[in-house]
Amino acid sequence: MKALYGLYPDAAGAQRAVNSLRAATSELKFDPKQILIVSGEPHEGYEFTDSQHSSIPYPWAVLGAVVGGTTGYLLTTLSQKSYPLVTGGMSLTPAWTNGIIVYEMVMLGAILTTLVVLLVGAGLPNFKGVITDPDIGKGKILVGVVDPPVNSQQELERRLLLAGASQVKQSAEG
Amino acid sequence: MQPTAEQIEQDLLRPLFHSSGKYWVAVALAATLLLAGVAAFGYQLYAGIGVWGLNSPVFWGFDITNFVFWIGISHAGTLISAILRLTNATWRRPVTRCAEAITVFSVLIGAIIPLCHIGRPWLGFWMIPYPNERHIWPNFRSPLAWDFFAISTYLTGSTTFLYLPTIPDFATVRDASTGLRRKIYRILALGWQGTPRQWQRLETAMFIMAVVIVPVAVSVHTIVSWDFAMTPVPMWHSSIFGPYFVAGAIFSGIAALILAMALLRKFLHLEEYLRPIHFQNLGKLLLTMSLLWFYFTFAERLTAWYGNSPPEMAVFWESIRKQFAPLFWTMVVCNFIIPVPILAIKRFRTITGTAIASCTVVVGMWLERFLIVVPALGHKFLPYSWGTYRPTWVEVTLMASSFGMMALLYLLFSKFVPMISIWEMKVGLQPHGGVPVVASADGKHEVVLEGPQ
Amino acid sequence: MAHKWGMVVDLDRCTGCEACVVACHAENNIPTAGEDQAARGRAKHWIRVERYWEGDFPNPRIRFQPVLCQQCDEAPCEPVCPTYASYHSPEGLNSQIYNRCIGTRFCANACPYNVRFFNYYNPTWDMPLQLQLNPDVSVRSVGIMEKCTFCVQRIKSAEIQAEAEKRELKDGEFTTACAQSCASRALVFGDLNDPNSEVSRLSSSNRGTKLLGELGTKPNVTYLERGTWEDATHG
Repeated sequence: MKALYGLYPDAAGAQRAVNSLRAATSELKFDPKQILIVSGEPHEGYEFTDSQHSSIPYPWAVLGAVVGGTTGYLLTTLSQKSYPLVTGGMSLTPAWTNGIIVYEMVMLGAILTTLVVLLVGAGLPNFKGVITDPDIGKGKILVGVVDPPVNSQQELERRLLLAGASQVKQSAEG
Repeated sequence: MQPTAEQIEQDLLRPLFHSSGKYWVAVALAATLLLAGVAAFGYQLYAGIGVWGLNSPVFWGFDITNFVFWIGISHAGTLISAILRLTNATWRRPVTRCAEAITVFSVLIGAIIPLCHIGRPWLGFWMIPYPNERHIWPNFRSPLAWDFFAISTYLTGSTTFLYLPTIPDFATVRDASTGLRRKIYRILALGWQGTPRQWQRLETAMFIMAVVIVPVAVSVHTIVSWDFAMTPVPMWHSSIFGPYFVAGAIFSGIAALILAMALLRKFLHLEEYLRPIHFQNLGKLLLTMSLLWFYFTFAERLTAWYGNSPPEMAVFWESIRKQFAPLFWTMVVCNFIIPVPILAIKRFRTITGTAIASCTVVVGMWLERFLIVVPALGHKFLPYSWGTYRPTWVEVTLMASSFGMMALLYLLFSKFVPMISIWEMKVGLQPHGGVPVVASADGKHEVVLEGPQ
Repeated sequence: MAHKWGMVVDLDRCTGCEACVVACHAENNIPTAGEDQAARGRAKHWIRVERYWEGDFPNPRIRFQPVLCQQCDEAPCEPVCPTYASYHSPEGLNSQIYNRCIGTRFCANACPYNVRFFNYYNPTWDMPLQLQLNPDVSVRSVGIMEKCTFCVQRIKSAEIQAEAEKRELKDGEFTTACAQSCASRALVFGDLNDPNSEVSRLSSSNRGTKLLGELGTKPNVTYLERGTWEDATHG
C-alpha cells in the first residue's frame, strides 16, 4: 500500500485539496474511498471532518445499557429466587437493592458497548501498517490518494500543489 | 505566547525520553514505601489481623478510612474530565489526563484496600458471582456487594476514559520513537492513524463516556457512604451521607489534582501548559467545594444536636468535645478555615497558595473519614461495650504504602505516557480553541455547536 | 409447627455471678483472650453481664444485664453480610455460617447490641484447657466472626434424637449452656411457638421488654424488668 500525498499547513488548505481530489475521481480513475486524510488532531467545523460524523454509537450505547440492565436484573432476581435465604426480614428480591446492581450493570453495559463500537468504527486495532508522516506531529494535515493509478500521478500532484501543499510526497510502504 | 504544535509535541514528549536523577530517586522512594506495605501485609497474613489496632466494638479503623479516602480522591478526574468536557470548558485541556490518571490509580488502590482488610483475604473472590458447587454466592442486599459492582464499573469506566483519548498520543510517541519503544507503542496505539472518521468516532465515544461516567462516579461514592448509612449505628444512619460523601469526594479530588499539577509543573517543566489560570480556576472550584463541605457538615451536626437523641449525642460530644475533639477541630481548620481565605482572596489564589490549601484539604478530608468511622463505632447503643481505637505500626505502614503506591504508579505513568494530552493541546491552538463555531442563520453572530458533530 | 427458639432473661433474678459466661465459654470453645488482648478490647464473651452503676456513695445501685445475641427477627446484621454468612434460619435463629465468612466485619458494626465477635488471631488455649474442647462445636480460625448460636449444637442433637424416636420435642428437654448453669434460673430457653413452654409463658409477662426494641430489630429475647428497689435505710 502506498500513497501520493500533500502536506497542508491548515484545515482550509486541506479542504481545498479534498474538494479538488473529489472532483477528479472520474477523470483520473480512482475511487473517492482512496482519498486519505491524516491529521494530528480533529478539525471540527470543516466538511472533511464533519461529514465523517456518525450517530451510530448512540443507539448502540443505549442497547448496551439495556442489555447490561437486563443482565443485572436476571442475575440478582433469578439467583435470589433459586437460592432463597432470608436476611434481616427483607423480601427475597428487594427492588431497591437489586436496583442498585441493575443501575451499575446498565452503566457498565453502556461503557463496554461504547468501547467496542469505537474500536470497530475506527478500525482498531489495525496492525497492518499505517501511512503517516513526521510533519503531522508538527500540525500539518496529510491529504492524498492511496494506491493512485500510475498514469494519474502527475495530474494528482498538480492538483495537490495547486490546493496549497507545502510539499508533495510519495510514501513507499504502508 | 502560545506554543506551536511542534513545540507542544516536543515539550510533552520530553519526559518520556529523558529523566533526571531526581526522578529515579523519587521512584525508588515510592517503591520502597510500597514494598514496606507489602511486607507489612505479609506479616498480617502470617500473624493474623490482630496485629492491627482493631477491637470490639471498633471493627473498622484505618482500613476503611483509607478505603473511603482513596475512592474519594478518585473523583478528581471525573469532575474535571467529564463535566468540563460536557460544558466545553476549554481550560480543562492540559488538566484532563493528569486528572484521569489520578482517578484510575486511586480507584485501583481503593479497590485493593478492602481485599487486604477482610479477615480472610484469600477468599475475597467470593464477592464475584461465579457459578460453583458450594452454594457460595454474593448477597446483593449487602452494601459491600454494591461496592463490588460499583467499583468494578468505575474502574472499567475510568480506565476506558483514560485510555481512549490517549490512543492518539500513543501514536504520536510511536511515530517519534524507534526500536523496542516503537514496537511497544505501536501495540498501545492499536494502529491509530488519525483519519477524520477515527477522530469523529473517538470524540463521539468520549462524549458518551463523559455522560456515563458522571452518574457512575456519583453512584460509587454514594454506595461507599451506604456502607455506613445502611447500619443502625448512631450518627451513621443518616440520609445525608450519600450527598455528603460525594461532595467530600469531589472536594478531596480537586485538592489532590491541584497538588499533582503543582508537582508536575515543577518537575516536568510544564510551566507553559499548566498556567496560573488553571490553578485559579481549580482554586475557585476548591473554594466552592469547601463551602459546600462546610454546609453539609454543619447540617449534619446541627440536626443531630437539635434532635438530642442520647445515642447520637454520645457520638456527637465525643467528636466535638471529648476524645476526638483535637482531630475534629483540626479537620475544620484544614478543610475550611485555612483554605477559604486563601482561595477566596485573589492575591492568595496563586499556584503556591492553592497548593498549600490543597495540602490542608487532603489532610482534613482524611481526618473527616476517620472521624466518621471511629467515634460512632466506639459509642453505639450499650455504653458497657463502648470502646476506643489506636492504630498500630502495621496499619500506619499500610497507609503510607498506599501513598507510595499512588506516587509510584503516577511517576511511572508520567514516564510512559504524556501527562498532558498532546492532541487536545493542539486542538486548543485552532481558532475558537477547537470549539466548533458556525455563523447563525442570520449571519449576525456565532453559534457554538453543542457536543461532537 | 416449626420451632422458634427464644429466651427470657429475668433481670430480677440475675445476681451477676457470670456462671453463664463461663458455661458458654466451655460449651462453645471460646478461648479466653488473655490480659493483654482484653486490655486492647478484644475479649470475646458470647454472653456477657453488663454492669451499670446508678447513684453515688453511700447508696450506689448496681444493675446487671446479661446481653447475648438477641436472634433478631429483622436482624440488621443479616442483610449486610456480602457472602450470606449471617442469615436467618427457618427456626428463627440468626445463624453464623463460619465457612462462608470472609471477615468483612460489617455485621459486627451493624449489630446495635455489640454481640458479635471477631477472631483477630487464631485461638489458643492455655494448657490443659485445650483438652476440654467440645467436639460438637467447631473451633473458629482467624478472620471469622462468631456469636451466640443459642447452642445450636444442642438444638440440633435434640431434634435429631426426637426425630429418631419419632416424637415431638418436649419443653425443658434440653437447654442452652448459659440457661443450664444459671443458679437463680434467670435465663429460660425454649420454643416460642409452643404456647405451653415456659419461655412463651414468661415472654407474655407484663414485666417483659425488649432490649433496644425501639430500633425495630424484633429480638427474640425478652427481658423481664426487675421490681422497684426497696430502700434499705428508709424501709
